[in-house]
Amino acid sequence: MSETLAASGPNDPSKRTWLIASGCAGAVGGIAAAVPFVSSFLPSEKAKAAGAAVEADISALKPGEKMTVEWRGKPVWIVRRTPEQLAALPKHNDQLADPLSQRKPTEQAPEYARKDETRSIKPEYLVVVGICTHLGCSPSDKFKVGPQPSLPDDWQGGFFCPCHGSTFDLAGRVFKNKPAPDNLEVPPHMYLSDTKLLIGEDKKA
Amino acid sequence: MATFHEISPNASAGAKTLNWIDNRFPLSKLFKEHMSEYYAPKNFNIWYIFGSLSLLVLVIQIVTGIFLVMHYKPDAALAFGSVEYIMRDVPWGWLIRYMHSTGASAFFVVVYLHMFRGLMYGSYRKPRELIWLFGCGIFLALMAEAFMGYLLPWGQMSYWGAQVIVNLFSAIPFIGPDLALLIRGDFVVGDATLNRFFSFHVIAVPLVLLGLVVAHIIALHEVGSNNPDGIEIKATKDANGIPLDGIPFHPYYSVHDVFAVSMFLFVFSAIVFFAPEMGGYFLEYNNFIPADPFQTPLHIAPVWYFTPFYTLLRAVTTEMMYVLMACVLAGAVLAVVKIRTPRLFKGAIVVGALVLVAMMTAIDAKFWGVVAMGGGVVILFFLPWLDNSPVKSIRYRPTWHKALYAAFVINFFVIGYLGTQPVSVIAGRISQFGTLFYFGFFLLMPWWSRLGTFKQVPSRVNYTAH
Amino acid sequence: MKIMGFTKKIILGMAMALGLAGAVQANVGGPVWDKAPNKINDMAALQSGAKVFVNYCLSCHSAAFMRYTRLTDIGLTQEQIKDNLLVTNSKIGDTMKAAIDPQQAKAWFGVNPPDLTVIARSRAGAGGTGTDYLYSYMRGFYKDDTKPTGWNNHVFPNVAMPHVLWDMQASMTPGQYDQTVGDLVNYLQWMAEPAQTTRKTIGLWVLIFLAGLIFLTWQLNKAYWKDIK
Repeated sequence: MSETLAASGPNDPSKRTWLIASGCAGAVGGIAAAVPFVSSFLPSEKAKAAGAAVEADISALKPGEKMTVEWRGKPVWIVRRTPEQLAALPKHNDQLADPLSQRKPTEQAPEYARKDETRSIKPEYLVVVGICTHLGCSPSDKFKVGPQPSLPDDWQGGFFCPCHGSTFDLAGRVFKNKPAPDNLEVPPHMYLSDTKLLIGEDKKA
Repeated sequence: MATFHEISPNASAGAKTLNWIDNRFPLSKLFKEHMSEYYAPKNFNIWYIFGSLSLLVLVIQIVTGIFLVMHYKPDAALAFGSVEYIMRDVPWGWLIRYMHSTGASAFFVVVYLHMFRGLMYGSYRKPRELIWLFGCGIFLALMAEAFMGYLLPWGQMSYWGAQVIVNLFSAIPFIGPDLALLIRGDFVVGDATLNRFFSFHVIAVPLVLLGLVVAHIIALHEVGSNNPDGIEIKATKDANGIPLDGIPFHPYYSVHDVFAVSMFLFVFSAIVFFAPEMGGYFLEYNNFIPADPFQTPLHIAPVWYFTPFYTLLRAVTTEMMYVLMACVLAGAVLAVVKIRTPRLFKGAIVVGALVLVAMMTAIDAKFWGVVAMGGGVVILFFLPWLDNSPVKSIRYRPTWHKALYAAFVINFFVIGYLGTQPVSVIAGRISQFGTLFYFGFFLLMPWWSRLGTFKQVPSRVNYTAH
Repeated sequence: MKIMGFTKKIILGMAMALGLAGAVQANVGGPVWDKAPNKINDMAALQSGAKVFVNYCLSCHSAAFMRYTRLTDIGLTQEQIKDNLLVTNSKIGDTMKAAIDPQQAKAWFGVNPPDLTVIARSRAGAGGTGTDYLYSYMRGFYKDDTKPTGWNNHVFPNVAMPHVLWDMQASMTPGQYDQTVGDLVNYLQWMAEPAQTTRKTIGLWVLIFLAGLIFLTWQLNKAYWKDIK
């Protein structure tokens, strides 16, 4: 009797029909049953609430100062740039890996931050995620102009990552030949008023 | 050691892969031995689906459990909240939680029915005693698993149920209070208890359960399945050594079990989606109140599947002790008069009985209640040696035996129901009679199982084609 | 056939035992509560209940496992929730916390007002569903000068909770008050398990699918077993 029940499946047509029918139904059921389990991996309501947009009050920020807010567990820097700092930005484009933010257009910066060298909605205020695009350390502030240890002689101000030496300018743009491949990420953000920034949401959302 | 088998280079990719595996791992051999050439009796009836259904429910519990542990917090301050977090904030969390809570009750329904099948058809008899012993071990492990799992939601019932049951251990003479302290890890059930019960429930006991289930199935396959007629199909084989009444498990019983599974899933889903609380029996109402060590609920009862054994515990009052002492002495007298054993053994029985009665006078009823509760489970282990019937299956026993089995079932339901109820005089009396019947059924079985006119057991199974 | 006879006997016995149990249960039960109106599918009623809950209950009771955002399930927009239902200093992603400090509440009332997230599930019993209990409770307050709050309750004697809705009850007809309480307790029932309507909807499809699967596997089983003589 066992010889007729070969590994290739039943020869009897009625068995085969029902086998295929129940097999397909079972597979559909199995996938449907798997959906809730896999979905339970998605961020919960608690995570989504914690990851909600954050308001930042920039009224007290003076030119040349930086403030930090936390969004989704990451540091977001808001730097109020001086006119000199802004003017210096286009001058060293040739030293930068991606001066016009053209690499990874959709990932690193929304389109309002890709329009020019300032990488911001209001040129005065830089809003970037303070995490190095190399391996995730948080770069240190190096706003002072001029030669300093580990920095080039014509340093115009920016950020220096202590982990592997990547440098970024005051628009968060990465310098050439550094371990970090990309400019600092600009998060979606919008101005609720002249003194209030909302980080995590923009007008499109 | 198998020989290395070369396959023709013209063979299909599938055949070549299987051959590669078979040369290194006994895949086809295992499949043949346990599925396609494992011959099971062809006369299995509906009582034979519950073994595979138990396996299914075990898988459901493990899978849903894995996903619950991703979000549950085993901390007394956070546990209750984390369960509500799963019910509300985790995508589909409510479904996973209900599957796990319904699965726990479903496990016991299926296992009780599975055990009853064994009882009816004598599946525990020689040469299948070890299958039965592993099974009783599984039952014990399952009870521990359910008890510890129930603490985890940290509701009022969770807390007070655990408090009561752990306090029972303190009734054991001399070592009791220290033992209870050791189990709890604190002076009352608390965070320490929760964490260790979590570890046992998630890792330790499931591993034990899996090991016992594997042993249970291996022992079964070594001997071959019993059947509703209690006939050994291996006694009648054909020229090829295949039992005449046997059919290959695969495909006949794989297909049969798939059908049974779809019916089970229907009932299971109906409960999960439409009645997950099941009138407060599967999800107790009081457990929606966070545990409060300073306020005991008016009415504590264990979850439904423990209630028969809980009744055995509560039935042993100081009054009942006299009845039990009389039973011990009567038992000793019966044993001495009826059993043919050397004088020395009889002396030992008498001495043992007297010592037991002395202990029963010295140690109070609370402890003996615990013994009765544990005894209610432990007695099952002895069943293969208590049954003296010349036939295995209830089909060929005298009709009054069937009435006795039916009475046992009804009694089990009655003491189960009484376990959910508060203490009362009438309930107490009925529980005591129920307890005596429960133990009497087993302890007197060596005698009554031999009584009556037995029917002729056929040599071939009863089977009508369908 | 003998086995059918035996199994039938067992099932009959079980049915008898269950019937007996039911009879005993009916006699034992406690007070029977008034039946609450069923408005669980009435979005307007649930929204009105939500408003009563936020305005009257959240001052002392928390619903610590209920997030404001979930109120969109009863037909409210995020804007409506932010404007009408958010307690001060809460964000829409927050859970519903009581305004009162739990230590103070315990000092004032002698007992901490219980969290209400799953109160409707916890109060079910022999007298009716949890919603029935809450409906009877909120309509069971009466004046009692011997009590510190001046109020007592038929359903929960010597309760520490004052009759928070007393001004509402005084300014409405009994019918209107019952309707408002009905909205409130249905909201509490919804809040105790927000997934309940989805659960039943999905359940119907699951059962239909499984009924189909049962048919297919039954035919499959038959196709194989016709071989066995």
